Formats: sequence, C-alpha cells, structure tokens
Amino acid sequence: MVAHAGRPLTSVAQVVRSKNAGPTQLTLDLFFRDAEGYRLAATTERLSPAAVAALYHLSAEQVARFLLPEILAIKFTLPRRVCAGNPGDSDVYGSQQHAPLLRVRL
Amino acid sequence: MSATQRLLRGWRPGEPLRVLSASGQLGYGIPAESLERGLERRPHFIGCDMGSIDPGPYYLGSGEMAAPAQTVARDLQLVLQAARSLDVPLVIGSAGTAGAAPQLAATMALVHRIAAEQGLSFKVATIASDIDAETVVQALEEGRLAPIGPMSTPTAKEVRACSHVVGQCGVETFVRAFETMPDVVIAGRACDTAIFAALPRMLGFDPALSLHMAKIIECTSLCCTPGGRDAMLATLRVDNFELESMNPACHATPASVAAHALYEQADPFEVEEPDGTLDLRDAHYEAVDSHRTRVWGARFMPRARPTLKVEGAARVGERVVILAGCADPVLIGALPRVLQEVEDKVRKLVPGDWRVFPHVYGLGAIRPLPPDAPDPAEVGLVVEFIGAEADTVRAAAGVFKQNLLHHGFPGRVSTAGNVAFAFTPSEVDARTAYRFVLYHVLHDAPMESLFRVQSEWVGPPPA
Repeated sequence: MVAHAGRPLTSVAQVVRSKNAGPTQLTLDLFFRDAEGYRLAATTERLSPAAVAALYHLSAEQVARFLLPEILAIKFTLPRRVCAGNPGDSDVYGSQQHAPLLRVRL
Repeated sequence: MSATQRLLRGWRPGEPLRVLSASGQLGYGIPAESLERGLERRPHFIGCDMGSIDPGPYYLGSGEMAAPAQTVARDLQLVLQAARSLDVPLVIGSAGTAGAAPQLAATMALVHRIAAEQGLSFKVATIASDIDAETVVQALEEGRLAPIGPMSTPTAKEVRACSHVVGQCGVETFVRAFETMPDVVIAGRACDTAIFAALPRMLGFDPALSLHMAKIIECTSLCCTPGGRDAMLATLRVDNFELESMNPACHATPASVAAHALYEQADPFEVEEPDGTLDLRDAHYEAVDSHRTRVWGARFMPRARPTLKVEGAARVGERVVILAGCADPVLIGALPRVLQEVEDKVRKLVPGDWRVFPHVYGLGAIRPLPPDAPDPAEVGLVVEFIGAEADTVRAAAGVFKQNLLHHGFPGRVSTAGNVAFAFTPSEVDARTAYRFVLYHVLHDAPMESLFRVQSEWVGPPPA
C-alpha cells in the first residue's frame, strides 16, 4: 500500500458501513467517536463528495453528502453500479461496499 | 365483537397507545422471550413486517418466500396466538417477502393451517398489492412513471413481461382494511410504516408522530444499542412517543434512535410516503432513562395527489453456477486471461444463448481492488451462467468446468489440474434468474381502485 499522510478514518470513526437504499442506490454511513473526529472528517477534502466519488469511480454530482453534526455522522448516497440482484451484480444487499472508505486517511 | 371494533369503540382520546412490533422480518425466528415480555405490557395492537425488496428480484419474480416455510409457520403461530390471546388486532405487511399474489396466498394458507391446528377462529382482511401491468404501461405512456435512483425507463413490452408487479400500499389502504373490522390484517406489498401508522391515524393521533414511530419500530430493536431483533414497544401519546426494547439488554438511547434514521435510507431527513413526506429535521430524542427514549418533533407535509412505489421483476433465464478454488500463484496471476480463453473455447463447443459472469473472490469480485493490492494466496471462483434454456446453460457450465480444469497457459506448472472443487457436481443449478424492471414512482395513483381489500373468516365462523 502507498503510505498516505494523516490519520486513518477508522481511528476516528466507530462505524463505517454500506447498505442498499432500495435496489438502485447505495448509502454509506460514518459514525464518529467524538466531535473532534467528526469535525476533521466533515471538513477534510478527502471526504468531499468529489473525493468519495473518485473512490467509487463516479462523478462528484452522483454523490450526495449529508452532514449530521448532532449525532456525529456523515452519510453519502450514491448510485449502484448494477441494480441489486440483476445479472452482473456482486453484492445484492450492498453491505460490503464500505471497503474503499477504510483506506481513507484524514 | 372483533379486535378492531373493540379497540376503536373502547378508545378514550388522550389515552396512550401501546404498539408492539413483534418482527421486522417475520419468518426468521422471532425471539420468543422478548415477545412474551411485550405481551405482558398489554399492547393495543401487534404489528409485523414480513417482507422487503432487499433480498433481490428472485422473490418478486418467482413468487416464492425468502424465509423457510417452517420458520414462517413458527413465527406466524407465535403472533397469531399472541394477538388472539389478548384479543388485539394483528397487522402483517409485505406478506411472504415481496407481497405478490402467490406469497399472500401462501401466507394465508399457513394462517388457515395454524388456525385449524390451534383451534383459532378470527376475521382476516387481506390487501392484494398486485398492480396490473396495463396500469403501469398507461402511466408510462402518460409520463407519470419516474425511476427511483438510476433505473432505466422500461418499454411497455418489458413491463408486460414482468412475472409480478406490486405496489407499496400506504396508510389509507390499511385504514380501508381496518374499516372491515377484522381481527387480523394481512397485506401484500406495503410501506413498512403503514403497518404501524394506520390504527394510530384512525384513533386521531398526529400523522407525523405516528409515521415517525412506525418508521423506527418496523425494524424492532435495531434502533437500540446493541441492536437486536427483539420485540419493540412504542407508547404513543398526543405529543410524543416512547421507545422501549423488550430485550432488557438492548437500550434505546437518543443517539441509537437518531442514528437509526440513516439505516437503509437514501436521505436521512426526508421519508417519502404515498400521501406525503415525513420531515425529520426537527426531530428530538431525549432519554427517559438508560433503556428508553422519548421522541417528538417530526413534521408531515401531505401531498395532494398520492404517489405509489411500484416494483416489478422479470425472468432473465436459467442460472447455473460453478464453485471452485485456486491456490496456484501462476494461475492466479493469469486468471482474467485464462477465464476469457476458456470462455472462447466453450463458445465454439456450446452454441446458443448463454452469458457468463465470473466472480473471482480474492481478485475484486465484490468491488474493484486498489491497483497496489497484493495477489492473494488463494482465490475462490463462482462462475455464473445465465441463458434462456436450462439444458444449454448446464452444457456451457459443464464444458467450462472441464476446460478450466485442464486449460494450458504460459508458465503453467500444475499440468494435472488448475482448480480445486470442494465437492461434485461442482456445477449447481441455481434456479431462475430474474431482474428488476420496475423500481419507480407512479404519480397520481388511484390508490382505492388499485388495492383490493377482502374479508374472510379463518376457522369456524361465528354462529
């Protein structure tokens, strides 16, 4: 792995998960341990819609980001590559699509 | 007097309403002890969600249930006995996974069998959620059909080719079902919220509070920390509701309940319902104690003309899969090329309509791997074949398997065989492949004429 500067996302986020939001969309939820970790994640370019889009081979306008400071959470919603369970899909529930986020450093 | 009549007639406005959510996926084993604790709290009604679109197009396409019939029967018996013993309404939504006609019928057949075995007798209202393809085609032609997320617009022919099309009925349809004064309501495809929000609406509770409560408890104790599948009790009042898991180890905290708004939800602030939008921006969550949370503040913006979510699935073909593994570093390095070469060979040997989808676990089957990912020591192979005729697909898979085992490639050292099979036959019939054709919103839906409510007695009718 190429070494990137900064703290691993997983050192500040206690939950990094993915799931279908219906069969056509994927939603990624990040929950942070504390306000400092949340602030870091909410302000860094590495978790901007454009940066997350790049991780998933999408364009920035395909990714919606929701900031929820009250519960120290950030959500991203993006289109699925293939509609869930249709031929060519690889993850019917979309529950293992968080993996690219685990490599992010803040 | 039926359970619904008893609740509606005996209701004193201002009283708190206790709602017990017994299951978020009826058929996968309701935790019995937590359900029992819920019954001790004397709920006014019991609700269960039985389905979802999440397990994929197979269940809507085929009309089969995803959960095993044996555990579906167990769970149905638990909740039927519970509701009848308290003489309170039981509400079940999205019967038999996708809520299509064969699944509603299979659920009702189990209900009849259980009633006969247990000597129960009750009145059931069923809601049929199947939508005629021509209704969808008409909406398509009039521009009233919009995709949800990236879904291509189907042709009229594709809509007509769906084996089942269902619509998610909402609160108003459940209200019509309750107006037949049943003991039990069993709905085909339904909004998860409507299962729990319809009776509160009939009793005059605030629509926003009712829907927000419903949205949370339809997943039972998933909104707790730790999350669970145990029964969840909501106590709905005039201006708030309280949440409490019936598992003493699962705690509904303000943070865990607020976080649940994100779960499987594209937008954490707005939930679309047939008759309006639930807005959670001003929702408040406050601890009652370490186990319970009180919630209020959601708003509901009604829509003048209802929208309907429609789902449709069509057969793609028959599916056969090969299961194999590989531990040879030379082959692992050459695998993408080898799979292509084997496919080219098989094309010449097995003509006809078949497609192949290789899933190479260890080399990015689930998602593209980063370019600097090291080669794994082992890979797992699931090679999926789909085609119109089962015999052709089986032939393609069988010939592919044998050619993959013996395919020669540059640098090959393991000249006796390329892959490991855990068992034979390593080609496995994986039933019929379906795809979603419809996951759309149908605007200006005539809800009343789309969803048929029927009433029937289960067990011996009253004298």
